[in-house]
Amino acid sequence: MSDTIKVIPCSGMGKVYGLVARESALKVIQELCPQQSSTVCLAYIVTGDQEAKELIEGEKCITLDGCPKMCAAKNAELAGGIVTEKVRVIDSFRKPKGAQAGTATELTDEGWLIVDEIAGEIAEKVKLLSREG
Amino acid sequence: MSKSFAVLPCNGLDKGAGCIAREIALHLIEKSESEMICPVLYRIADARYNKIAQEKPLLVIDGCQTRCASKLASEKGLKVTAKITVTEEAKSRGFELGDALRLGENELKLAERIADELLLEKKAEKSLGSETAAEGETVYPETYDYEVYKKDKFIFRVPKEGFLFNENDSWVYIVGNIARIGVTDYVQQSLSDIMFFTPPVVGNEVEQFGELGEIESGKAVFEVVSPVTGRITAVNEELAVTPELINMNPYEKGWIVEMELTDLESDKELLLEFEGYFTILKRKVDEFHV
Amino acid sequence: MSINMLKIGIVSCSGEDCLGGTISRLATRKMLDEVRSDATVTICLPLFLAGGVEERGFAEQFPTISVDGCSKACAKRATEKYSGQVSAAIDVSDLIGTEVAEAGALSIRNLTDEHKAMVDKVVSEITAKFDEALKVAQRDQVAKGFAMVGSGSSGGCGCGCGPK
Repeated sequence: MSDTIKVIPCSGMGKVYGLVARESALKVIQELCPQQSSTVCLAYIVTGDQEAKELIEGEKCITLDGCPKMCAAKNAELAGGIVTEKVRVIDSFRKPKGAQAGTATELTDEGWLIVDEIAGEIAEKVKLLSREG
Repeated sequence: MSKSFAVLPCNGLDKGAGCIAREIALHLIEKSESEMICPVLYRIADARYNKIAQEKPLLVIDGCQTRCASKLASEKGLKVTAKITVTEEAKSRGFELGDALRLGENELKLAERIADELLLEKKAEKSLGSETAAEGETVYPETYDYEVYKKDKFIFRVPKEGFLFNENDSWVYIVGNIARIGVTDYVQQSLSDIMFFTPPVVGNEVEQFGELGEIESGKAVFEVVSPVTGRITAVNEELAVTPELINMNPYEKGWIVEMELTDLESDKELLLEFEGYFTILKRKVDEFHV
Repeated sequence: MSINMLKIGIVSCSGEDCLGGTISRLATRKMLDEVRSDATVTICLPLFLAGGVEERGFAEQFPTISVDGCSKACAKRATEKYSGQVSAAIDVSDLIGTEVAEAGALSIRNLTDEHKAMVDKVVSEITAKFDEALKVAQRDQVAKGFAMVGSGSSGGCGCGCGPK
């Protein structure tokens, strides 16, 4: 088992929420908690390759899903990850009603603010989980 | 008390929440005819508990988000009737869980309260069941037979029997004098992920083509146009928390309002049956890419 | 079905682990947004993997191109596992170099002109394969007798985000 918490976004291609999920995860693992967190490609862990299995089985994970279909949460669990938090990006869009975050290709300033907010919340969860051991 | 569960708590020995899960289970066993399933024994020798798990409704109690008890239930192919997670229950009650493994007075009270509420819900369900049976509550089919129209990779379903539609993509299912109303697959596909539903007011009178609330996604706001005339008797309260039910299942769990009808014969003249609406749907889908 | 209604699906990885995944994603989006917007349908790989009926159904019926950020070829393998052979498979690391592709994942906040050039290189390759696949599919259609030409609608993304 590794020391890092796995932060796994869905990175869904079709909706802005997938891009927000991806960018939030990148911010956590590259900027906010680079020692305590890492990511794994969702598509790779589902392939069933031995190397992929070793990356995820029994690992504590936080998944970020763009939409209610919850692809990251479902796939990470199926692959044997211990999903301790299932974050739904779309819920952040309910907080200021009518937020216009951009498209699945690029984000507006508002979109980046949402990314920063989600990344901050996940970073707190990562730190908590790291402390729990 | 006549209700009882097969109780499957987690075995979290390294967290207070796990110990509270066990405490809740103990209360249920003591105060009702519920029976305990030991998760550790169940994992290695399930024969002992299979009968209980089949005969009684299964209640899963997880201590934390790791959800070990839920995973065990899933592994064993059990049908879960109810589940709770102690950390979520504590959060919703504004109760701060500590790290201590020995339960203090507050933790014991929390466990007892959760157990009592679980038993009360069971009682309420039972009494509601007998009341509704007496009043003849409208019962809707759990699922329907659908016709499908595909465009690129999008699937548009329209139920074949029992529904009427208007040209504004609302549907109505009528039982006696009561109607259940919602929107069609065309609406939910066009809107994509639905984030908000603003319901109408229960008790309001609405005419055919009047407004029945608004559905909002990141793309647009859609005003639901009533297919019928009547008085609103209920709104689907689940949509306040889970508006995406309209995306997932617009004809079943994603229903929007119920109404008591006042002018059905006249309303029917402007309603479409399956064939008529399906033709309109196909044209709309072909003309506008969703 | 009319020839004008033929669509090509693109299944892209969006590997969060490496630069190749970012380039793959951006190139696929460019196909949908700009280059072949009328005829492209992008398949959301996570949804595809999670059992998305619409995604898998489309890939079974329509020509599909996979775009992978690295040689692990997750998008190609997933498509072949759940829906059938791909019409073309693109490995971004072949186009921009393995070492470059395996560099750390990139936030789109940090895109440089060099990265954009890589995206365009991949887009050229996808476009070539796309047009080939479209030609083959159109020939098949003619051969089967579906030679009516009707009005097509614009392409779109698999997850319902609609045309741009």
